[in-house]
Amino acid sequence: MIRTLLSALAVTAAVAYAAPAQAQATLAQVKARGSLNCQVGPPTPGFYALASDGTWSGMDVDICRALAAAIFNDPRKIQFQSVTSAVRFTSLANGESDVLSRTTTWTAVRDTQLGLEFAGVNFYDGQGFMVPKASGVKSAKELNNATVCVLTGTTTELNIADFYRSNNMTFKPVTAENENVLVGTYLGGGCDAYTNDKSGLAARRSSFAKPDDHIILPETISKEPLGPVVRHGDNNWGDIVRWTLNGMIEAEELGVSSANVDQMLTSTNPGIRRLLGVEGNIGEGMGLTKDFMVRVLKATGNYGEIYERHVGPKTPINIPRDGSLNALWTKGGILYAPPFR
Amino acid sequence: MNTLSPPQAAHLTDTPDTVKVFVPAAARAAPSSTLGAAAWIRKNMFSSVPSAFLTILGIWVVYTVLNGFIGWAWTNAVWEASSRRDCLDKVGNAGACWPGVVVWIPNLIYGLYPKDEVWRINLAFALLIVWLVPLWLPRVHSKVAIGLSMVLLFPLFASYMFMGGEKGAIWTALIAVGLTGFLWTVLTAVTETLWGVPVLRMVARKFGATTAEAESRIGQVVLLALFGVALFIVFELDFVEVRTRVWGGLFLTMVISGFGIAFSLPAGIVLALGRRSKMPVISLLCTTFIELFRSVPLITILFMFNTMLPLFLPAGVEVNQLLRAIVAVCLFASAYMAEIVRGGLQAIPRGQYEAASAMGLGFWQSTALIIMPQALKIMIPNIVGNFIGLFKDTTLVSIIGLLDLLSMARAVGQDTLWIGLFIEPFFFITVIYFVFCFAMSQYSMNLEKRLNTGHKR
Amino acid sequence: MAIVESSSLRPAPAQAGSWLNNAKVRAVLYQILTLAIVVGGIWYLVSNTITNMSQRGMSAGFEFLGVSAGFNISFTLIPYREGDSYLRVFQVGLANTLLVAAIGILFATIMGLFMGLARLSNNWVIRNLARWYIEILRNTPLLLQIIAWYFGVFTLLPNPRMSLAWSDLFYLNNRGFYFPGPVPEPGFGLFLIVLAATVAGAIAYGVWARRLRERTGRILPVLWPVLGIVIAAPVLAFLLLGSPLAWNKPVLQGFNFRGGVNVPPAFCALIIALSVYTSCFIAEIVRAGIESVSHGQTEAARALGVKPSRTMASIILPQALRVIIPPLISQYLNLTKNSSLAIAIGFPDLVSVWMNTSLNQSGRAIPIVAMTMGFYCAVSLFVSLVMNQYNRRVLLKER
Repeated sequence: MIRTLLSALAVTAAVAYAAPAQAQATLAQVKARGSLNCQVGPPTPGFYALASDGTWSGMDVDICRALAAAIFNDPRKIQFQSVTSAVRFTSLANGESDVLSRTTTWTAVRDTQLGLEFAGVNFYDGQGFMVPKASGVKSAKELNNATVCVLTGTTTELNIADFYRSNNMTFKPVTAENENVLVGTYLGGGCDAYTNDKSGLAARRSSFAKPDDHIILPETISKEPLGPVVRHGDNNWGDIVRWTLNGMIEAEELGVSSANVDQMLTSTNPGIRRLLGVEGNIGEGMGLTKDFMVRVLKATGNYGEIYERHVGPKTPINIPRDGSLNALWTKGGILYAPPFR
Repeated sequence: MNTLSPPQAAHLTDTPDTVKVFVPAAARAAPSSTLGAAAWIRKNMFSSVPSAFLTILGIWVVYTVLNGFIGWAWTNAVWEASSRRDCLDKVGNAGACWPGVVVWIPNLIYGLYPKDEVWRINLAFALLIVWLVPLWLPRVHSKVAIGLSMVLLFPLFASYMFMGGEKGAIWTALIAVGLTGFLWTVLTAVTETLWGVPVLRMVARKFGATTAEAESRIGQVVLLALFGVALFIVFELDFVEVRTRVWGGLFLTMVISGFGIAFSLPAGIVLALGRRSKMPVISLLCTTFIELFRSVPLITILFMFNTMLPLFLPAGVEVNQLLRAIVAVCLFASAYMAEIVRGGLQAIPRGQYEAASAMGLGFWQSTALIIMPQALKIMIPNIVGNFIGLFKDTTLVSIIGLLDLLSMARAVGQDTLWIGLFIEPFFFITVIYFVFCFAMSQYSMNLEKRLNTGHKR
Repeated sequence: MAIVESSSLRPAPAQAGSWLNNAKVRAVLYQILTLAIVVGGIWYLVSNTITNMSQRGMSAGFEFLGVSAGFNISFTLIPYREGDSYLRVFQVGLANTLLVAAIGILFATIMGLFMGLARLSNNWVIRNLARWYIEILRNTPLLLQIIAWYFGVFTLLPNPRMSLAWSDLFYLNNRGFYFPGPVPEPGFGLFLIVLAATVAGAIAYGVWARRLRERTGRILPVLWPVLGIVIAAPVLAFLLLGSPLAWNKPVLQGFNFRGGVNVPPAFCALIIALSVYTSCFIAEIVRAGIESVSHGQTEAARALGVKPSRTMASIILPQALRVIIPPLISQYLNLTKNSSLAIAIGFPDLVSVWMNTSLNQSGRAIPIVAMTMGFYCAVSLFVSLVMNQYNRRVLLKER
């Protein structure tokens, strides 16, 4: 997961292109175009994976699918664009894409200075270390004087430097701009530890010939709340993305899923009735239809379904959800959607 | 040995004064040590002790490498599997896992281009091949015109086939021009092969044109008619739009290098002429441009265009990523091409310039009619070499995030089913690059040999 | 008929109104026009850039060079700690690029020479081996080769605890190659002076010997005396000064070796890939150079009774070099430029550490791109200057 620090380019692009972009509201543009421009990154398993038949799928891709379903009632009306992390904000800012959904960390600088708006968090992540079991290392504190493989040009590079400096330890980085190269280095014994976001570590470990020979150390050295991003300034569009995401989380909490959404329409639970547009009119207020969440849930399912489908224990990625930050607040996590009312 | 027939010989011997006929003894057979395979081996492999040692060493190296390679790529390889995990369970890392590459082949070749529309790419490349064929037919004489029309007009037509979508009036006309070029090429190739006359002249003669003027006038009418036909066809065409962001794989590699070569040739000629110009300002500008772009690595130019081009243009002008890369590659390639052209121009003896000017030809006439045709002939091997370099260099666009062949190969290893698989796709694309580059370099060497006749002092 | 008419009836060039036909005037006009277009274009781009940058709050200044960079660099030729400034990062990248280029050029030349000669060998196996070595490596992208070598280096080498060791001083493992680092002690400066003096003396002797040969035809032995002086004198001085150099040996400590000098695998892979790739082109240049010298030259030398070794050194090589050197230098430049592909395997060269990492972390696109391109332009300009000097010297003097 590549998380470049602010590219001042993006700052800029945002301000400069804000005017033409605002001339017409994003929702109107998307409707006129007939498809949603969704920006993802170079394929990353679990979040924006590319399959051999050319289709994209994953946690972050499903945010876009949900949006397309909410707007067009068709989750396939999306044009995907994959760009490197270095130009992702520029590309969003100058209107090449409508929403950026690619494991982007929500930081203050990005939110306030780059002309971007974060619409929420769809995955709580944090940077960690993976080491071979045979090394006997049990804690990141034991990694003094170690050689560490780190992806270049990302916040991981700065996080690890901070971690070592604050603990008065030294390390030797082995860097590469490509994850395949870096993992090859780690497996070839070119470094003692491999550092990345823990979700990425888990995804990677599942691809090893012997996954059990490697362990992910318990320490988390950074906070990485990942979520979809839109251009600053179009509040309506921001609302649509934010409440589509919140709706999927709320649906899980209320027990509404893709399987039972039709029965739930007759539910007497006022929370469910408001979410599905049976009561109240949240959807039309945003320029969508009343039942936009019904469309979303039929197309992609609730948050829990998405999680299980792409990164859950039944997938090769295998990131357990119970007890992690990504569990619902009712189950010990911090996933919490503001109420639909 | 004796060339005389027996009766004559008898007659000669009959006359007493004639000298005795010399009958040479049969030549001895060459010593057996210089004949046959054994001798060849001795001469070429074991002529001395060091040579024998090197031979054995060489054979050992080849054997080790091939043995290890075949073991990995063939003997231990997995051909049937549904995921990388399957492969790993079967052979671990001892053998290649080919099924992952096989299912990805369509993406490696076409990128994420919609599978229903892929026929458009195939058709465009088929047309390109049809356009190329006349260049090899011995009876076709208008090779230069056909070659030029291909380089200049094919991109017009092909870019519509690839992109599709709305076409305005100007765009329609340009596409029709491209198609006209194609129709003209095919008809010319046919008429020249069958009757040895280009199509325009043949039609003109059919209509009874006798003078050159009449021929060219009727020819123009025929060309216009062809344009009309092309226009009609273009109106009928209606392709779904395919955004450049899904272009990828070998197709994208070819588009970028194709644009590079098509743009760099004319631009390189202009720059080279500019650099050799006697006008100081023009010469200085051209030299600065050429030296600047030649002295920095392509990757820095790509980085620069990727990050800075949006800054150079007025706010609101959208330049997509592919275009940014193509602009960078074109400028880079034309600087190199300019130096090749300059080399070719320098090889033309001064006498040619002087003779042209003595004939009363101006600068443009002598350049176009006398100097360039000779210089181009000398330059062809270098141009092909430049093209090979360009083709290989397109791998760098993967670093700025385009989905070229290399990026698609990396994507294989990020597919959830085939996660971590990357040596095999890398090997596969290496073979693709090698096949293309090797074929081009062999062609260029072949051409060099053919062109190397005459004109040598 | 028509021709005669037109030529005989052509009016004398009109004095007025024809200034457009005057070549000189037209040349000036063309140049003014071109200059106007170019200046206008540049002005347009610059003004756009300035507007865009001020709108986006970007700065084109160099003040960020003093700011602390905050990331670590895996291999540095000159000392660097995280917390050092961006300027230091630039210097580190620059030094690394120059180091890669220098070592790569050395190896590429040696390998290219051997392969070029192998290509001309009488031995069929060697000749074809060399041919396919060249064809395969020359026709595949360098980027792929660099990545391939990088993994090749790994799979062949053991981990640090199982290092290939040689007498406690040299270690080879998948973290790279470790060897003792020299630590100068007092008196080392004097040694360096002696060394410089002997080298200068040797060069002076060589030049004097050549002049003498050209003037009188007397041939003095050069190679052995020069080698003797250059090796013997410094060794003697070193011993006399009491060996003013300590060695910092690598020692296995925890995960890694500490102390000594470490050459990381990425560096090895980059050097191997660059020199192998470039050697293919050099081999072809060497072959063409040697084949360009007419066989008559060898025969003539033999007829004059020149010894075979001297034929090669004084007759064939100087002529072949004239053909070899210019393309060779352009290959050297290519190698330097290609070293920028180090970014693929994370070796911190100028492009990787400056144009990628620093650009991403600081966002100062314009100064960073300008500095990077400026460096490559400077190298290239310097080399062309030297080349022009050389070309002038070896230019065929036709009489």
